[in-house]
Amino acid sequence: MNSPAKKLRNKDLLDIRSLSTDEIRLILDTAVPFKKLFTRSVKKVPPLKGKTVLLLFYEPSTRTKTSFEIAAKRLSADVANFSVSSSSVVKGESILDTVATLQSMKGDYIVVRHKGAGVAELIARHTPISVINAGDGFHAHPTQALLDAFTLREVFPDLVGKKLLLIGDILHSRVARSTMRCLHRLGMEIAIFGPATLFPPGRPEWIQCFLKFEEAMEWAPDVVYLLRLQLERQQANFFPSMREYHNVFGIDRQRFRVIDERGIYVMHPGPVNRGVELVDEVMEYDRCLINQQVENGIATRMSILHLLHPSNRKRPALAATEDGIL
Amino acid sequence: MKRTLFHGGQIVLGDQRNPVRADVMVEGDTIVDVGTHFTDADKAERFDCAGKILVPGLFDIHVHLREPGREDKETIETGTRAALNGGVTGVLAMPNTTPPIDTGGMVRFVLNIAREKAPIDVMTTGCISRGRLGKALAEIGDMHACGAVMITDDGDPCHDPLVLRRAMEYARNFDLIVGSHCDVRELFGDGALNEGKASYRLGLPGIPAASEEICMDRDLRLAQLTGCKVHVQHVSTARGLEIIRRFKNEGVEVTAEVTPHHLIFNEDDITHYNTHFKMNPPLRTAKDNEELLNGLRDGSLDCLATDHAPHTCFEKNRDFLNAPFGITGLETALASLYDRFIAKDLLDWGTVVRAFCDRPRKILNVKKVALAKNSRADFSIFNPDGETRCDKAFFESKSQNSPFLGKTIKGLIETVVFRGELVLNRKSKEQAQPV
Repeated sequence: MNSPAKKLRNKDLLDIRSLSTDEIRLILDTAVPFKKLFTRSVKKVPPLKGKTVLLLFYEPSTRTKTSFEIAAKRLSADVANFSVSSSSVVKGESILDTVATLQSMKGDYIVVRHKGAGVAELIARHTPISVINAGDGFHAHPTQALLDAFTLREVFPDLVGKKLLLIGDILHSRVARSTMRCLHRLGMEIAIFGPATLFPPGRPEWIQCFLKFEEAMEWAPDVVYLLRLQLERQQANFFPSMREYHNVFGIDRQRFRVIDERGIYVMHPGPVNRGVELVDEVMEYDRCLINQQVENGIATRMSILHLLHPSNRKRPALAATEDGIL
Repeated sequence: MKRTLFHGGQIVLGDQRNPVRADVMVEGDTIVDVGTHFTDADKAERFDCAGKILVPGLFDIHVHLREPGREDKETIETGTRAALNGGVTGVLAMPNTTPPIDTGGMVRFVLNIAREKAPIDVMTTGCISRGRLGKALAEIGDMHACGAVMITDDGDPCHDPLVLRRAMEYARNFDLIVGSHCDVRELFGDGALNEGKASYRLGLPGIPAASEEICMDRDLRLAQLTGCKVHVQHVSTARGLEIIRRFKNEGVEVTAEVTPHHLIFNEDDITHYNTHFKMNPPLRTAKDNEELLNGLRDGSLDCLATDHAPHTCFEKNRDFLNAPFGITGLETALASLYDRFIAKDLLDWGTVVRAFCDRPRKILNVKKVALAKNSRADFSIFNPDGETRCDKAFFESKSQNSPFLGKTIKGLIETVVFRGELVLNRKSKEQAQPV
């Protein structure tokens, strides 16, 4: 177990939890040469030539979907889009029927995003195709976590002991869960700050909690990771208003000055709610890593697609499971 | 009249920790004698029970038979056949059917079908409120006159405390027990499982234990206020058990039930979003398993009840959040209790029979069924060395949403006798097979 991983064990990428720390490092290391490609005028390489990547997005998404599409095409794969709008019926039978259809089309990868936690796993169990979870409910968004880790490794070659503070709606954020777990594995210390209503119950003990911005700053984070706030949460009484959220928890000018003075890096998975999580100045800040995150998203996803290729994996694909046993 | 001597086995009595060696003489539908004094002179057909344990017919005080309305999941007929398959010879049906059992006419509907089609005793509850909507009282008196033995809005709590208070006061005119399904809707929210480590791990909204406990406290306080008899359904938390103990100590007439699955499983068992572990109330923690087991041992929890809740494969085979709550339990209850507890000396047979046979019938004022002289001859013949292979072929229920599906559990009910008749005999099937 001490030798670094050279291949991934599973046919799917469903969450960070099922990756070993070595596998995480393998994915990140493999992304480096892919990123170097982007400076060339011809950004295409052939590893996935002739392969088909099926994008199955039940939730709307421009950034993640486009990122996967570009990543797949730069590897010379063909991409097919199955966009199911959020107003369509999203019951289990439809999902599995769709999967059977995709399988009949002999696709090689399914990239799936769905508002139900566990859907990616449900699909993965019913097909030998490699399934990549692009976000399932509040559960996981492993490719986001990996691109976040890649981005931070560019800033801090050694992440051990570095401190990451997440701010905002941790409870409903699959990005937060996956990113916290991934960076914890790579040795970072993790803390959260925001309305206590949005601290997830049952969280692991290695996540520290701060109720006040000043206390969070005393902890001296190296990176602040802002999460997008959704209006629906206000209707459900998680906080009284966007205005109050911004005043107490947002990175306004005053809080930004603290961050700027200390040289703390700022990240955000996007899309950004200007005036809510942050003010415009933050976007212009030289230690704002948001654009790098987007760029690295493509490189990381190329790495994942490449490593999940059957010839790059340790074992042959796991057989699909039968009948109704989930 | 036909006489059969069930000889060579051991019998379980509710007041004895362990089974005792005894033979049972059945004549017609009654046990006429029990003991070890029988000789060849006693004329009777013989049924060999050597190595087996005779368990009196169980009574499940909480089952969902789904008829009328969802006969695709289960019918009164299939549900009671499933009961027999698990050694259960009497059931109390819940009223959350479609339409619900909220009038005398609906009560009569269920009991008529049962009389016609069910191979075992069926009793029914009626709703507390019209339509099970929690606003206006259902015709409790009429339902009682037609045969309902308990009122409950099970599936939902009675949300409005004033409605519950009135229902409890009114139930006293009919000496009816009020069954209490405890949760606070707003705290329950869109939760799918216990709020805690598993809900974090799976990224799903959770149901805090406090939701059940707050409602339980409220319902029992109202029972105390009104002098009504209350039966707390499917207790799932240790703190809830403490609340029950407290009110019992204060003299409130409260009984309580616990399901085998809340004793056996906890939230750590929900590994891969398997909806066969999704039910309401949800699986809680290992500590709750432990404390509930203690509660069963010391009698604070009066009954074992399965909350048998059939659902179709189609409905259960979807993402965890949207799958319906509920698992079946009638057919696996006894064997699973044997496998997980009796065989490991964590529970004795006497406790199980007390909780799953004696107490439920006592609570509902039903004549006791026991392996004793003059009792009706309802019992199952259990093989502790056998195995119950829970594949699709085993289940008599229309639905197979069981956490034991595909698994094998220690112990097997080989034969079931109901009113003196052999109504289920797995052994004969084996004997019929060519060698």
